[in-house]
Amino acid sequence: MTRPRLLTVAAIAVAVMLPLVVKSDLTLTILVFSFLLAMLAVSFNLIFGFTGQLSMFHAAAYGIGAYATHIGMRDLGLAFWPAVGFAMALVTVLSAIIGTICFRFRLKAFYFAVVTLAFAEMARLVAANWHGVTNGTLGLTLTAKPSIGWPGHAIAIDNTLAWYYLSLTALAMTIVVCSRCVHSWMGRCFVAIRLNDALGDALGIDIFRYKLLSFCIANAIAAIAGALYAHFLGYVDPSFLSVDQSLAIVAMVLLGGKGRVAAPVVGAIFLTLLPHLIHFNAEVRAIIYGSILILVILLLPKGIVGTAAEWSRRRHA
Amino acid sequence: MSQVIVGQLLNGVIVGTLYGIIALGVTLTFAITGIVNFALGAFMMLGAYGTWYLAAEHGLPYPLAVLVATLGTAVLGLVADRALFRYTRNDLINGLLVSIGLIAVLDNVVLMIFTATPQALDPPLTGSIGFLGVFLPKMKVVVCLLLILTVAGTWLALQRTWMGRAAFSYAQSAEGAKLMGVRTELLQSGVFVYSTALAGLGGGFYASLYSIDPTIGNLYVLKAVEAAILAGIGSIPGALAGGIILGAMESIGALYFPLSFRDAYGLVLLVLILLLRPSGLFAAQR
Repeated sequence: MTRPRLLTVAAIAVAVMLPLVVKSDLTLTILVFSFLLAMLAVSFNLIFGFTGQLSMFHAAAYGIGAYATHIGMRDLGLAFWPAVGFAMALVTVLSAIIGTICFRFRLKAFYFAVVTLAFAEMARLVAANWHGVTNGTLGLTLTAKPSIGWPGHAIAIDNTLAWYYLSLTALAMTIVVCSRCVHSWMGRCFVAIRLNDALGDALGIDIFRYKLLSFCIANAIAAIAGALYAHFLGYVDPSFLSVDQSLAIVAMVLLGGKGRVAAPVVGAIFLTLLPHLIHFNAEVRAIIYGSILILVILLLPKGIVGTAAEWSRRRHA
Repeated sequence: MSQVIVGQLLNGVIVGTLYGIIALGVTLTFAITGIVNFALGAFMMLGAYGTWYLAAEHGLPYPLAVLVATLGTAVLGLVADRALFRYTRNDLINGLLVSIGLIAVLDNVVLMIFTATPQALDPPLTGSIGFLGVFLPKMKVVVCLLLILTVAGTWLALQRTWMGRAAFSYAQSAEGAKLMGVRTELLQSGVFVYSTALAGLGGGFYASLYSIDPTIGNLYVLKAVEAAILAGIGSIPGALAGGIILGAMESIGALYFPLSFRDAYGLVLLVLILLLRPSGLFAAQR
């Protein structure tokens, strides 16, 4: 086993054992939020860190996933998991449409970011104004809880511990799926696009297809994360789709380290725990959050994991 | 009905010049330092609060208050550039994230000092002017004209001075400009500070038209980025024109379509323009 993989497995093992030691409901709750946001960050790393496209649609996919799961249950009479499937399908279709528009017209770098941001803002405005379906800016209260198992033997996910294991499993599965993607032929195409898409094109890689694929996979995972996050929180509102949420995801990925499958987890946990570790009022917290973001970007350009890896390599060399 | 349309259009144009002044800062910063400074919205908010604080709380005459607030914003811009943005030159993503961090810091410092209660300034100029059968507040018209003059002045200065030629040459080829003796570091800092001063000035004028709160800048900078891209990065008259087009588009859109989707009409236009003319309306096509 390679070292990064060993570390990832060790970290997951620690996470599995953690509830034996940590009994505090609050701590577990914060960890559930961290895991679900980490899932979001890991999936974002696929399009941003590996394929090199700064998508600003990720928070929109996350928010649409949350809304669509609820709507699937309420209006289509689906159970929780089929409703999540419905949300994934919806987000994938939307991503395919938006991705086709962006990539057919060869939008790159900042221009891709701006156009995806524009679509995300439109989605947010729809969520904020389609009162009959989304209840506008007041948001929706979500009472449905998922369950695991088969009919007759289902375990309801209704306490924090159950949610802890569910979110941990979801995160681990996300890491496995993303790692499979990245270490395959597909992943090499993603990296080729980031490094030099003109050269990739000349070598016969279908740039359009792989960009679209990366965009759709990342957004579909974000939809699952959104469905779980909103149902754990019991609430969804249009701020799920906001620009701030997208930027928070970017910050998590950069803080952890882009271009490594599991590194964004560190950034997500760090940024989610941080506000809870500092006992100040909201303004001071936001100031400290902003300062730490600035300092990390300027002082640790490779992210926490990237810097740590370099440091350990230098020590062993 | 036609009066309503003209009125909405003129209002859109006036708001558009405010977008335009920030868009000018966005476009200059992006062309010369290679980053999109989202914190310009926060600098605008600082200019607005500075003006309000000096004029309403300390009784300074309004024009002097705007001037002092603008200079103060420029000094903060200089500090931000030397301490932070100097290290993110030509790094779009890091520049973006540093400016996000800076927004969080600045917004919340102002929030702590002045609370979230909206503040308003007594209008320095009252009365209205009739124009095409529509009555517009005098203050709005004056602000609009002053902003247009500022953009025109900037454009002229860049056309006619050595500094301007240096900036254009730098935008064409950074290395070439350096070889020709342009002090690129000074140029980059100068442009960065000037753009924060523009944002501060825009904020100072904003304070005389609308009530202010610590979050006003965030929406404006998004609009300004839209306007700058719509016009084409690097075009100076384009930044103003982009702002005005965006403002007018939103006002007219809000007249015929649901008001709550106001922000979306500009976005639709932006996406269409980017797809059909990728380098913007006014920039030279590549």
